[in-house]
Amino acid sequence: MSEYSVIGKRVHRVDGPEKVTGSAKYTFDLVLPSMLYGKVLRSPHPHAKILKIDTRKAKRLVGVKAVVTGKDTLGRKQGIWRRFPELCDEEILCREKVRYIGDPVAAVAAIDEDTAEEALDLIDVEYEPLPAVFDPLEAIKEDAPQVHDGVELNININRHIEWGDVDEAFKKCDHIREDQFKCSSQAHVCMETHDAVVSYDYGGKMTVWTSTQSSYYIQRLMADMTGLREGDIRVIKPPTGGGFGSKFELDSAQFCAAILSMKLCKPVKIVLSREEEFTATKRRTPMYYFLKLGAKKDGTLLAKEARVITEGGAYTAMGATALYLTGFFSSFPYKYPNYRYDGYRVYTNTAVTSAMRGFGAPQSTFVGESQLDMMAEDLGIDPIEIRRKNGMTPNYEVPGQAFIQSCGLHQCLDKIEEHVKERGKLPPNHGIGVSAYGFMSGGIFNWFDTPYAFSAAVVRINIDGKVDLFTGACDIGQGSDTTLSMICAEELGVRLEDIRIHAADTGICPPDLGAWGSRETLMNGNAVKMAAADCKRQLLEFAAAKMAPNIVYDFEIKDRWVHLVDRPERGVSYFDIVKGAIRGKDGNAIMGRGHYTPHRKGMISPAYSFGVQAAEVAVDTETGRYKLLNVTTAHESGTVINPVGIEGQLEGAIMMAGGYGFCEDQPMDEGKILNPSIADYKLIRSLDMPETDILEIDTYEPEGPFGAKEAGEGLTNPTAGAIGNAVYKAVGVRINDLPITPEKVLKALKEKEKKKK
Amino acid sequence: MKKELKLKVNGQPYDIFVKPKTLLVEALRDHLALTGTKRGCNSSSCGACTIMLNGMAVKSCSILALQANGAEIVTIEGLAKGTELSPLQKAFLDHGSYQCGFCTAGMLMATTALLTENPKPTKQEIKEGIDGNICRCTGYNSIIRAVTAVVKGEYKEAK
Amino acid sequence: MSYHCPVCNKVSSSALDLARHMIGRGDKVHRDWIKSKGFKYSELLTLQFKSFGGEGYRALSEVLEKETKVED
Repeated sequence: MSEYSVIGKRVHRVDGPEKVTGSAKYTFDLVLPSMLYGKVLRSPHPHAKILKIDTRKAKRLVGVKAVVTGKDTLGRKQGIWRRFPELCDEEILCREKVRYIGDPVAAVAAIDEDTAEEALDLIDVEYEPLPAVFDPLEAIKEDAPQVHDGVELNININRHIEWGDVDEAFKKCDHIREDQFKCSSQAHVCMETHDAVVSYDYGGKMTVWTSTQSSYYIQRLMADMTGLREGDIRVIKPPTGGGFGSKFELDSAQFCAAILSMKLCKPVKIVLSREEEFTATKRRTPMYYFLKLGAKKDGTLLAKEARVITEGGAYTAMGATALYLTGFFSSFPYKYPNYRYDGYRVYTNTAVTSAMRGFGAPQSTFVGESQLDMMAEDLGIDPIEIRRKNGMTPNYEVPGQAFIQSCGLHQCLDKIEEHVKERGKLPPNHGIGVSAYGFMSGGIFNWFDTPYAFSAAVVRINIDGKVDLFTGACDIGQGSDTTLSMICAEELGVRLEDIRIHAADTGICPPDLGAWGSRETLMNGNAVKMAAADCKRQLLEFAAAKMAPNIVYDFEIKDRWVHLVDRPERGVSYFDIVKGAIRGKDGNAIMGRGHYTPHRKGMISPAYSFGVQAAEVAVDTETGRYKLLNVTTAHESGTVINPVGIEGQLEGAIMMAGGYGFCEDQPMDEGKILNPSIADYKLIRSLDMPETDILEIDTYEPEGPFGAKEAGEGLTNPTAGAIGNAVYKAVGVRINDLPITPEKVLKALKEKEKKKK
Repeated sequence: MKKELKLKVNGQPYDIFVKPKTLLVEALRDHLALTGTKRGCNSSSCGACTIMLNGMAVKSCSILALQANGAEIVTIEGLAKGTELSPLQKAFLDHGSYQCGFCTAGMLMATTALLTENPKPTKQEIKEGIDGNICRCTGYNSIIRAVTAVVKGEYKEAK
Repeated sequence: MSYHCPVCNKVSSSALDLARHMIGRGDKVHRDWIKSKGFKYSELLTLQFKSFGGEGYRALSEVLEKETKVED
């Protein structure tokens, strides 16, 4: 294979200069003429009937232009699982009932934020509090309060995955373990909170500027909720300050701003406060995990059974996907001949649990990798050895579920084994824990019920050779703008600086499902590659006519040089070919189209990435406190398109996934989140961040553009499990519920001491 | 009742009127339209609003605008000299020390202030210098690498 | 041999798989059919999550084995 000219190179991100100079304009910065400022009034009760809302005093406050409630909407319910109407259960602006503390009931538009805030206090809402339920294990009982009418046992969704015969297989096992775990919630903590500027004009058209992971999803959901035609809504994604799974569903900032703007025909801006961000946006799904694992004494895993009950919160949102994926990834990354998963998502009167980077897999990886280490210890087998014995290999089929093409898991295991050996004998109370994972490159599912291709791109070549790339892909910091520009440049045979990307504006870009499930590089990358190839074909048609070489020769373009593959010295400048080709097309710019939708790729994803992580900790047995010293990751993501991007994703993932294991939590009391501020929500800062080492494994994924597959989400899976295993290796205590706090470690150490005596 | 506020920002003198309760970050962003400085919280804990005030790194959400009367302020918009980026800005570009970019202004101001006060910090001192700034995207290590490269002299100041 | 869902005609390769579909789909029409066979939907779910083992699905699959099998 010839060396690539663009991909694989260390480049500046295409949005770099504007970001390091403070000139990037986020939705947070947007100001429009005659723009008003909005605020949302939210329920103080976890469960209550709305008896009456009196907005008269608020409306009379000087500076207030409009006050809206659920009565000003069409009264529709929405949800991201559009194909299943019973799962579209969220009104956003509640009409009859509120179901969690923070559920919106009214919104105000005023001349400034202070006036809007003051107006909220003047809105009188009469509630009839109802009995509420907060823990899914309580909510699933016969006599629990019903969060949604007609939903028995508050079971929102249940999912079942099964292959082989688990019951028979357990009979053949030499050793069986049953363990219980509790996985906590986690807040996304995007640096830019949810925000939107919505402008509805007198012509009946709506423009939305918003911090989002999917401008297309917002467009479609907004149309569903407002009754406007999809095409009369334009959603524009400015530079966006983080998403991590929190920003691809229709949220209260967007919807309330829209309803207000439609009343006033003026732009309305709503920016959620950090407290609203913690309490009234979606969060990671907490799960109760019951695992049963059976193996032969040589370490061959024969059967695994998982039962999971998840805390759904008040509405479905993306909870259904998290429920399915946690069950699917509970079987990763090992070959289980027999497997059964039963998952139940249970409504509770708490903030909605939905998608967060990893999507159920950080939970399944924490519990699975913890239990596997315990099994290894029971059998007297080395933890790397047991993973090696059962690890997935290329071209493996997960029965009835997925076909894994490229898989570098074993090379990753080898590298981590080397790393652990090199560390040698560790000081006392130090430990290294290992954790392996596999993750998807986007999903094959169409629960959104879109008629569009999942990804699409248009490439346009102008007379000066500059290329405009139009795509719906959303750069939320992960660098898709840069990665896709690199793919376009490589395919077309030009330089990165020749590409100008226009992304995520539904008015001019083809739809894309958005940045979630780690899909942009593979799915959108394929669409971009196809569009660029289309343009290249048109250019080469002209080049062939112009140069008229012997028919046995092939053309290629590399680094702006259109040439014969076998005789690279015979060629013409790309710029000259472009000029001629445009003339040859009656003066039309060269345009190419591309798209990608996975077909017949199993039940989950067209491709999977794998990795193994080793976390080293040092525990202070006096206080239970421990330090994350080092996290070394061996991983493979197919061909690396954007190396700076991947390193950034890996290190960032360690901060987030490490935080999940180490310190992040949202303790609640009667449905009220107790730490809704950055002062109180602990996350990893620079002083807590471990040293990070990356060991790249080379693989090639046939399904992906130039052989690439995902990286951003998979890397969020292993760290909590690696930390748990490391703490055990260091001081011999096993913590089965996240996060692994110093208090829990200290308590476990004391109990261990007691048992000894 | 608005009060007069005189301050110099990025070398330019300003004379405006603000309400007494206006925070410095609000004065910069809303009154002077210098939106490079961001705001990520209401508890002075995230560092996104970090600027330099009289040479020190300060969270501009933690002081009232009027408290900065007469001060010399540098914001992210003041780091580059014309179109020539500062050494730290160049290092951030080379090392990919930003992703979503929302914390970047605060990070650059915190690290600029650090190097102004201490041109040869150790790695630990660099970590302490940005401990008040949260980044949810990068995991901090690429930022530390960029600052280390500047400390090593790999980047020249613009004339 | 295949099994056709009596509500939405989805085809499954085994009665157990069809039970999984019907219980998992969980909408009113599927639940009503399950109820008409003398089961309580919530009881089937409870059987399933209270312990390891597949009793909830197995119970329904026995009925489906008799009523929905289609010889090809």
